[in-house]
Amino acid sequence: METSDTFTLLPLTLDPTTKAISSAIPASTALTEELTALNQLHRSLLSLEAPHTVPPPPLPVVPKRSAQITKLRESGNADFRKNRFPEAIRMYSVGIDMALARPGWEPSGLVREEVSALFANRAQAHMSLQQWVEGALDAESSVEMKKVGNAKAWWRRGKCLQEMGRVEEASEWVGQALEFEAAEADLLQLKKELDAQLVQKGR
Amino acid sequence: MVDWIGLAIPFAYIGILVGSLSVFSSLYRKRKASKSASLAPWFGQHLQRDIYLTLLHQEPEAGSPKVSDGHLKAALLRRATEDIHRIVQIRNAKQALSTLLQRGSVGDDLWQRFQRAEKEIEEELRDVVSEANAFSPNWGQTIFQSASEMAQNAQIRTRITEIQGQASAEKEWWEKRKADISSGLMKELDEEKTTKPALASNPSSNSAKPAAAKIGSDDDAVLVDSPAGGPKGKNKKKGKH
Repeated sequence: METSDTFTLLPLTLDPTTKAISSAIPASTALTEELTALNQLHRSLLSLEAPHTVPPPPLPVVPKRSAQITKLRESGNADFRKNRFPEAIRMYSVGIDMALARPGWEPSGLVREEVSALFANRAQAHMSLQQWVEGALDAESSVEMKKVGNAKAWWRRGKCLQEMGRVEEASEWVGQALEFEAAEADLLQLKKELDAQLVQKGR
Repeated sequence: MVDWIGLAIPFAYIGILVGSLSVFSSLYRKRKASKSASLAPWFGQHLQRDIYLTLLHQEPEAGSPKVSDGHLKAALLRRATEDIHRIVQIRNAKQALSTLLQRGSVGDDLWQRFQRAEKEIEEELRDVVSEANAFSPNWGQTIFQSASEMAQNAQIRTRITEIQGQASAEKEWWEKRKADISSGLMKELDEEKTTKPALASNPSSNSAKPAAAKIGSDDDAVLVDSPAGGPKGKNKKKGKH
């Protein structure tokens, strides 16, 4: 960084119609990426509602989007209970997209919470359709968003890996899970099964 | 008659004095300049700051529209987000670096570079806050909260895309694996008449994973298990969500 009173003048131009900022000369990839991000942010700033001209502080949250996401999850759960798994997956997917499309300045903790619940449920629906690959990835996403208090997602990925025959990986995964959720009976049981399978394979 | 020789001595004295001083000062300055040039800045170019200031100083030309406040706010927010990244880096590095310095594991100039970066980032933060307040009163108090959420949200999204991006490769692997297993099972059925033990030790089940070797018989048991796994999870879910 230069001293505080100088800066590098960049050859930027503003497109009169699209209002997008671009570089006048062919630019480095870093600059191009940055400008793309900037234009995106500009568009999302334009969608701010009337009293705000700048991004409001993270808290309090506008409850509209949260309510929509909760509704999507509920209807996904309803579909799931009626064994309409593809519909449930679609509902959860829309919910996930919506949660991830939250403007960046809204609390990231909230996004984590919502996304992890939706991914865990979608993993379950995939598992009911015996789509182990998708189930495993969704469960991993869920765990990535929320490690503690998410025993179901931990269990689901372990189960998916077991179903795919990746017993070592599953055992390792469940071992990790037990570091977070040592008292979870389902995880302990799965661990026992996996260990038995490993022993059997070792023979 | 002027005593030329007597006069030359003080002049020579002054000349030598001035000459040696100027040589010394130029040498000293050169060395100092090269030393500070060798101290590379801690961070690279601050692209977001450059963009913001470029936009701020853009001359309104005929034909091209004026850069709106919205653009400037977006650019400022991007700049604040980059500052958050830098602050986190500085904070993480500080503890380790001071320990290393105490042990003598790193040189003094690294520490000097670090301190310069620290000072720069402080100045940068003050600058961003005052710019933000210029756009809208009190934005300065919340801009870094927003920026830090933005940084974390961006991180969440990259992680999710990363994990979900593995889907196609994993699926491909699993399709291959399934084909291997089913061909293994078919072979087993064929070989059943020759009263071989039901261990799938055929060469065709050599797939990418080492776990694949003897899975034939294991999978049988697992597949029977799976309907029981479904409802079990389902019940659990009903309870909680």
